[in-house]
Amino acid sequence: MNNMWGSTAQYEVINWPWPIAVYLFLAGLSAGSIIIALLVKWNRHEKDSSSIWDAMVKAGAIISPLTICVGLLLLIVDLGKPLSFYWLLISYNFTSVMTLGVIALFIYTPLAFVFMGLIFEDTIKENKLLSIFSPIISYIKSFEVYAKRIEYVLFGLALIVGAYTGFLLSANMTYPLWNSPVLPILFLASGISAGIAGNILVGMLFFKSSINKESIKYLLILDLRVILLEIPLLIILFVGMLYAGGNAEVAAIQALTVGKWASIFWFGVIGFGLISPLLIAFTALRNHAYKVGFILVNSMIVLAGVILLRFYVVYAGQLFTGA
Amino acid sequence: MSSNYTRRDFLKVTSCSTAIAGISCMTGTLGSLGAQTISGSTKFVKSYCEMCTSRCQIEGKVVDGKSVFIQGNQYSKGMGTSVCARGAAGHSQLYDPQRLVKPLIRVGKRGEGKWKEATYEEALNLIAKKMMNIKEEYGPQAVLFSAKTGEHFSHLSTFSKAFESPNLFSHHSHCPITYKVAFKHTYGTGLKRDFSKSKYILNFGHNLFEGINVSSTKKLANAAASEKTKLVVLEPRFSIVAAKADEWHSVKPGTDLAFVLSLMHVWLRDGKYDKEFVQRYTVGIEHLIESTKTTTPQWQEKITGIKAEVAERVANELYKAAPNCIIDWGHKTTTAKSEYQRTRAILIANALMGNIEKEGGLFFKKKAKTCNKLAGIDIAPTITNPDKHFQTPKTLRVDRASQKGSDNAFIARNQGVLMDIPKAILNKDPYEVKGWFMIRTNPLITLADPKTMKEAMNKLDFIVVTDIYMSETALMADVVLPEATYLERDEGITDKSSSKPTYMIRNKIVDPINNTLAGHEIFRTLAKKMGIDKDYKWDNILQYRVQQAKGNDKLLKELMSKGYISYSIPTLYYREEKYVKDFVNKYPNAKKYLDEDGLMGSMLDNLKTPSGKIEIFSQQVEEEFKGYGVPRDDNNMDVTRGYPYILTSGKSAIHTNGHTHNVPYLHMLMSDNPVWVNPQTAKKENLKNGDKIYLENDIGKEKGTVFITEGIRPDTFFVYMGFGRESSDLKRANGVGTNQSKLLPLIKGPVCSTMVTNVGVKITKA
Amino acid sequence: MSKKYRMIHDENLCIGCQACSVACRSENDVPDDIFRLQVRVETKGTFPNLKMDMRRQSCVMCEDAPCVEVCPTKASFQTNDGVVHIDESTCVSCKYCIVACPYNARFMNPVTKAVDKCTFCYSNRVKKGLDPACVTVCPTDALVFGDISDTSSEVYKKANENNLLYPKAHLGTKPKVAFVPNKRGVSYE
Repeated sequence: MNNMWGSTAQYEVINWPWPIAVYLFLAGLSAGSIIIALLVKWNRHEKDSSSIWDAMVKAGAIISPLTICVGLLLLIVDLGKPLSFYWLLISYNFTSVMTLGVIALFIYTPLAFVFMGLIFEDTIKENKLLSIFSPIISYIKSFEVYAKRIEYVLFGLALIVGAYTGFLLSANMTYPLWNSPVLPILFLASGISAGIAGNILVGMLFFKSSINKESIKYLLILDLRVILLEIPLLIILFVGMLYAGGNAEVAAIQALTVGKWASIFWFGVIGFGLISPLLIAFTALRNHAYKVGFILVNSMIVLAGVILLRFYVVYAGQLFTGA
Repeated sequence: MSSNYTRRDFLKVTSCSTAIAGISCMTGTLGSLGAQTISGSTKFVKSYCEMCTSRCQIEGKVVDGKSVFIQGNQYSKGMGTSVCARGAAGHSQLYDPQRLVKPLIRVGKRGEGKWKEATYEEALNLIAKKMMNIKEEYGPQAVLFSAKTGEHFSHLSTFSKAFESPNLFSHHSHCPITYKVAFKHTYGTGLKRDFSKSKYILNFGHNLFEGINVSSTKKLANAAASEKTKLVVLEPRFSIVAAKADEWHSVKPGTDLAFVLSLMHVWLRDGKYDKEFVQRYTVGIEHLIESTKTTTPQWQEKITGIKAEVAERVANELYKAAPNCIIDWGHKTTTAKSEYQRTRAILIANALMGNIEKEGGLFFKKKAKTCNKLAGIDIAPTITNPDKHFQTPKTLRVDRASQKGSDNAFIARNQGVLMDIPKAILNKDPYEVKGWFMIRTNPLITLADPKTMKEAMNKLDFIVVTDIYMSETALMADVVLPEATYLERDEGITDKSSSKPTYMIRNKIVDPINNTLAGHEIFRTLAKKMGIDKDYKWDNILQYRVQQAKGNDKLLKELMSKGYISYSIPTLYYREEKYVKDFVNKYPNAKKYLDEDGLMGSMLDNLKTPSGKIEIFSQQVEEEFKGYGVPRDDNNMDVTRGYPYILTSGKSAIHTNGHTHNVPYLHMLMSDNPVWVNPQTAKKENLKNGDKIYLENDIGKEKGTVFITEGIRPDTFFVYMGFGRESSDLKRANGVGTNQSKLLPLIKGPVCSTMVTNVGVKITKA
Repeated sequence: MSKKYRMIHDENLCIGCQACSVACRSENDVPDDIFRLQVRVETKGTFPNLKMDMRRQSCVMCEDAPCVEVCPTKASFQTNDGVVHIDESTCVSCKYCIVACPYNARFMNPVTKAVDKCTFCYSNRVKKGLDPACVTVCPTDALVFGDISDTSSEVYKKANENNLLYPKAHLGTKPKVAFVPNKRGVSYE
């Protein structure tokens, strides 16, 4: 029957467009970078302030609060009623993943800033503009005895922030590509790999440190491990959908084969974001060629892959419902 | 609430300033007015709808003077609170800024769309002057009057008689004329259908689920969904009524007649018909036996495409279910030139099944006069026509309707044949036509071959169109008069009797926006201005109503408050024992109308036909049209005219004919009428969904969009009617869709002079 | 005793005429080209073995509503009688509920900028003892509404006389809108 029921535009609109995809990336990056920063801080081998490890801690301390702020700002601007955003902070619904995320972020974000303040304590004190914050830093420093515990809390919150973006999507029954328990783990793993890549990139570019071959080898292997975890997660995601049958099966096939998003998945997420870093890493490790250049390129490719994964899941999930 | 106009009030209508600061709006529209002031509270007003001609009874909720919600009028049991999408969208039309609210006078070339706004006073004065000039110079017959039937048609009819022109046209010739004429020749009057109690309904394209009449639609829907009724639908496309059927057979467009003739062949061959009924109440069965000798189920299969065993079986099933069965002739009966034979055959098929005045069959209207006579007491008041003394001019009409020897011999003088207008004007045959006055009609969309009609209209001196939108026809006018919509006007009482005496009235729900006038006010004023109103016995609608009610205050008051009154009497089917018994119990006086068998069969003994009986064979028709006295194959079932495909059209539940396509709520639901193409045909013609194509034949070439669907035959295309609008003031609908009328030739089916809406076309890619 | 509202859409009586859609628009001031309610008419099969399904597309008022579960500010909430409402003032239009609704029932209202959906005409009609607008106007009485715990109600009778199906019942949302599936037409698919 030709259409006599009116426009179906409202049913075809993408409700969660690119700002959400970018936010998911930024939240994952923020959580991942602070996780890596903390892990490095706790397991640091040298106290050498110009080593790559120190740079990674510094990078994490900068990336984490700044990216989460930009992310939250994006979210608020993307709201249909941005001026009402304060309701999110006043009214809670504990069955909603979004509320849980708001609460977690409510504590995580200031803590990330605190961490940044502490790591850059010296820089702040020396800088004319930033020295206004010195009293705050000193005040916080007075709680130094709790430092380790606060760091553990921050670490826990970062894990929550990293995973909750996945739960946000997986709590929906509407979109088969989202409705998988694999998604939170996938997003956390992806976030951590973004954290590694981001910290390396920022650390090497801005915190001008020297790096030795041992460290490079170690980082390449670390990156490798996380990527090797992402690949099986993606396989489980799609195979799970195929075996679930019904809408999920149709959606999985469509998402992997139809249109530009399928191409973005295969070339962007898999080819560019997962396979190329693997190849680069293997090549470097086998040939024992530990050039700095490889590391930087590798990091950028990994980050691009993480963004593409978020975009793919967000858009393909909403487009291919298998209906 | 009632209108108490004086003659002075007519003259007091004000004009609106065109120079509204900063806003350039379409001339004459509601949108060019400023904000409307509102006042008041909440009230509920009962009236009846005019979004189509089902004219269902509605109740309008008015809040602060604004119509906000429309539903059915519960006083009408057949309606309940139901109303269709068009009825519910009444106020979307009422408040549409693109609606006309100011009279317009042409300043550019005809059809150019250049107007100057005027007051009603100016416009009506101009019309009066021009029309009287034409009357003086060429005679009153030089002005045509046309409208769709309804109360405004009655008022137009009176006006045309006052003007003394014989050329009054209704819309019948492009819609129901066939069954009106066929009924007259067969039963003398029309018959109603009792769907609810029917056990078997054979439906010939009567799409009550898209051409909605709420109370009939409701009954048929429940019958179709029930296990007690079998619904068989013959229809070229898989329409909504086809979808609700127990069996749907895709009959080739235009070939219904063959199927009906084959049913009758089976019945007559096997003696499976109500012999007693035929013996007592009909004449001419021997002619039918003769004419259906060779119309076997196998014969019809070659013509309709429906398997022979289906015809055989359906004939038997109908006979088994008789007399509680209905063979349904439909409503818009325009499927082929053989339409008269088709519809006559269907009407007679019912008689063969003996279902007249039987439960689940067909029945005569039980109007007040009949019921009062039977009961011997005044159960229900009767109404009268205050204009019945106006004489129909018996002078020659341009279409020679009612003239012996003409091909429109059986067409009533107050119906006429629209298809004959263009050639009458262009050929000045039988005389010159100079003017045309129209209301509630849009022939450039609904009538065949608008191109030729436009040519003819360009030859006229003076055209007046009364409408609520700037339709295609209004674009061709010299003066466009906006009419108040049905929600804004009081009108008279209508007799809506069916199985019980029933009356309904139209009550104004809101005050007319910008003081627009109702049709009856326009005609009454014009008649006065032209000095031809000496025979009018009323000056305004309130007086008209009072005269209709014959001064019955109680009736009028009740109608003004309830909108609808049905006088409850026991349902009476003259030939059903149970019903007759109940009626006679209540009204003992009715005993004198009983036959020996205790039934009221005598009520069928004196019908309004020449023989007084049901005429299977009609002598009068045979005399005028040889071979048409009895249903037979008249070799007129082929509609293709040599082209490879047939284009058919139909009603949608969202829109009405050429009327509603610009109404906001309705346009939002359905804004286009893509051409239905069967996947096999699409493959053959190399077409994809959404392709732009042309449908073409010798009459015209019209654009369309392809919609591939299994719901249509491979040899047929379908479009919903009324699209393909060509008036830039219909901003929403303009330019979208296919106007199938452009491909229809100005031909007529013999005897009933019906337009034919199935036509041969070819398809090409754009 | 709180009411157990049910709405039944009989696809056999439904003719897809969209009267319900227009009445809803009138009653609830729905913005142009946006719909709280549509009836989708789907032709299935191969000529001439066809069937036509009428599917109501609107909120089904789930008992266990995903939209209520996911709303971060409780703007999407449920009253005791199970009707799901939207508080426009606390809605931030994060659209989580739109995304979470498996029935595609919710949409962003371009005028209020909050999220909107069918409300069963709760405050403007049901509370006043009337049926929702769609139920009121349906030309074939295909829609029935009421309290199913009231054994004298139409909805109770209809539920008893017909096989009711609940849309996407396998999701466990426990919708309040049920349908009587189409019995007519032949489709070999």
